[in-house]
Amino acid sequence: MMQPIVNVENLSHIYMQGTPLEHRALDQVSIQVAEGECLAIIGHTGSGKSTLIQHFNGLIRPQSGTVIINGMDVSSPKIDIRTLRRQVGLVFQNPEDQLFEKLVGDDVAYGPFRMGLPLEEVRRRVQWAMDLVGLSFQEMKDRPTFALSGGQKRKVALAGVLSLQPKVLVLDEPTAGLDPRSRLELLDRIRRLNREEKLTVIFVSHNMEEVAKLADRVYVMANGQSVCEGTPRQIFGNQELLRQHHIGTPESVDILYRLHEQGYSIDPSAFLPEETAMEILKLLNR
Amino acid sequence: MTPQPIIRVENVSFAYQVNQDQQIPVLQNVSLEVFPGEYVAIIGHNGSGKSTLSKHLNGILTPKEGDVIVNGINTREKQRIHEVRSRVGIVFQHPDNQIVATIVEDDVAFGLENIGTSAEEMKTRVDFALEAVGMSAFRHRPPHHLSGGQKQRIAIAGILAMKPQVLVMDEATSMLDSYGRQDILAVVRKLHREGMTIVTVTHHMSEVAEADRVIVMEGGRIVLEGTPREVFSHQERLRELHLDVPDASRIAQLVHSEYSEFTPDLIHNEEVVAEVNRLYVRQAEASGS
Amino acid sequence: MSAEFELTRNITIGQYLPTASVVHRLDPRFKLGAFVILILAIAICDTYVGNLFALAICIWMFQISKIPLHYGISGIKPAIPFIIILAIMQLLFYGEVVNGGTVYLKYGFITITSESVRLVIVSAMRFVEVIFLSSVLTLSTSTTELTHGMERLLGPLEKVKFPVHAFALIITIAVRFVPTFAMEMEKMMKAQASRGADFGTGEWWRIIQRTKDMFPIIIPLFNVALSRAEDLILAMEARCYTPGASRTRYTQYKAVGKDYVALIASIVISAVMLAIPW
Repeated sequence: MMQPIVNVENLSHIYMQGTPLEHRALDQVSIQVAEGECLAIIGHTGSGKSTLIQHFNGLIRPQSGTVIINGMDVSSPKIDIRTLRRQVGLVFQNPEDQLFEKLVGDDVAYGPFRMGLPLEEVRRRVQWAMDLVGLSFQEMKDRPTFALSGGQKRKVALAGVLSLQPKVLVLDEPTAGLDPRSRLELLDRIRRLNREEKLTVIFVSHNMEEVAKLADRVYVMANGQSVCEGTPRQIFGNQELLRQHHIGTPESVDILYRLHEQGYSIDPSAFLPEETAMEILKLLNR
Repeated sequence: MTPQPIIRVENVSFAYQVNQDQQIPVLQNVSLEVFPGEYVAIIGHNGSGKSTLSKHLNGILTPKEGDVIVNGINTREKQRIHEVRSRVGIVFQHPDNQIVATIVEDDVAFGLENIGTSAEEMKTRVDFALEAVGMSAFRHRPPHHLSGGQKQRIAIAGILAMKPQVLVMDEATSMLDSYGRQDILAVVRKLHREGMTIVTVTHHMSEVAEADRVIVMEGGRIVLEGTPREVFSHQERLRELHLDVPDASRIAQLVHSEYSEFTPDLIHNEEVVAEVNRLYVRQAEASGS
Repeated sequence: MSAEFELTRNITIGQYLPTASVVHRLDPRFKLGAFVILILAIAICDTYVGNLFALAICIWMFQISKIPLHYGISGIKPAIPFIIILAIMQLLFYGEVVNGGTVYLKYGFITITSESVRLVIVSAMRFVEVIFLSSVLTLSTSTTELTHGMERLLGPLEKVKFPVHAFALIITIAVRFVPTFAMEMEKMMKAQASRGADFGTGEWWRIIQRTKDMFPIIIPLFNVALSRAEDLILAMEARCYTPGASRTRYTQYKAVGKDYVALIASIVISAVMLAIPW
């Protein structure tokens, strides 16, 4: 295998170590992400997902185990944390909350300015980032941020991270709280970032439809451990695993399971509605 | 005798005042009746006016034109607003932003304290409400250690304690993970079975499929109304409105387009499975005889 | 360094330490009342033995509330520089002001007398006593009980139009949202750090620059607080809250024998403290 761009080995993290409130958030987690991959991390609240992704740009340093990002060892006290954070763009849940400049363009430019880039370069990057998320630079750069809709604000926040031109984009629940229209649009943008701009994308999600549509590969987390890894097809095909870890399934998968349980010979990994329809048609000899 | 509606929304228009001579219309001539024991879902994308409509149902907002009548009381009657609000309770979107107190049971009692319930009566009602949402074990806990789904259950308990007739869920599951959402849906389902009238504003089409009646909003108007089956059969129209349909109806229609025997207007997963069964058995019989 | 932004997970918010002792189970109104009486007595008492007695009582209170004494001592640590500075100032300048006592030293405007030494020692002791006493109170009483107790004690002020209910509600909500905002702030710091912000680096005298560095946190935090407040107002209104209207109370306190004992004990202790002549 090619050298992975994100390589996590035996990572453990304990909060409030040595107190009665001690809590083991990560327990011997190992995860590898290849360059250009789109990886989903799923698992229900408290499974350690957010603690894990905060290691990727050094917001949390490894207590034990190693995290190597594009050849940089995050546990080494000598690494340049700023260089690391430029390589790994981390987008938190509800990132629209973090906008603080009056105008859209200024907010997107915050990161590049902090990097000390010349004005021309900052401008170029802002335009590039806004284009990528589908905000017209000419039209939107001078708009006040507070007047935008929720979906637009989230795109501005995403552009603000993209303008750092990271190699790896990490997203925590990218579409939570959006309406169906904004959700589909944002998913489409993320997919293009991955497929066309060749960004490595790692995202955390509760929405299984989203995982089914976007991810090349899925890690399932439970109780601070990475319990399973595979393609969405392999993961959704494993009903036992999903039930055991309280992970919801896409509705289409639920239908397939029910048919499967009734003894029909059906492929339970055909999770896209179109595929499910095909499976049913095949079953009925059509 | 036809039953009396519990909520009557009559030709309601509403606009947000931006400044002296500018206002943004949000609701335009909306009429709607909710009957006792009904389960009504309101859908539409953000900005369609659905949340504004739900805030009219207990007089948090009062119409610019038209009237909202709850159990015979006009929500404009300020001196009777407590009667309206204890009949129609609302659970909001953000679990964190509707809990007032530092201890779960205190929060459940908050509404009762406001309407002057006696201490003994409060005790019974708080017990009842916490039991109804399955949170009795958490009554002495501080709320900030609870999960999103648990916080929303506390919010529902706070409403239930007021013994309302209608429970309005204003995107109350949109911030929850699938586990928390199932949790809340189970509670709502149970309350509905026990006779509570439910009005839910949501983006999740699988929640909509459980309703008796669906109202689709766009541009401050009601553009589509009917049973979930009827509404989801308008897939083209819904797509224009940027709304989803449940996977079950999507699949049923896809199969139907290739195989016309397959009933297209299915909305529940079980129905799809049953339909496959029906056709499979029929085929087996046909080929067997 | 592994957790530079972990505000919430590594700090125990609210210091309540539930050991279910008799002190924990006291009626908060009486507990607060007794606390106020003792604090007043400490403020008045200026004798060595009286303060030694008070100190002994404070230590004994840790014992009966089953709270390890080191919780109290860790409360004093941050105050030590302050106590020392205060002591030096008092030592240097009080001699002139306080009359009587033997003069130990007189050098220019500095006079040190036995009286001024006593004042210095007594005020240091008072400091320790007050910190111990407040530690016992906050460690043995949840914030909810504290606000309840305060509201009831302030109750009579309603007659002079003081908005006691509103005041208590404000405090309750403030306490309720402390952990929420700590979490929010942690998230905001992490989010902006991910975009290249850094906080608290750079020379300390460049105050303007350092304040500017905080904008990306303060501004969004302020926005979030506002929108939360709006939501909260809606939710409160929807649950029939009317500002200024009278409300009934869910938590009812009924004083029993031990509560009266505690109150009387605090009066007796105070009386003894003040009666000691040395």
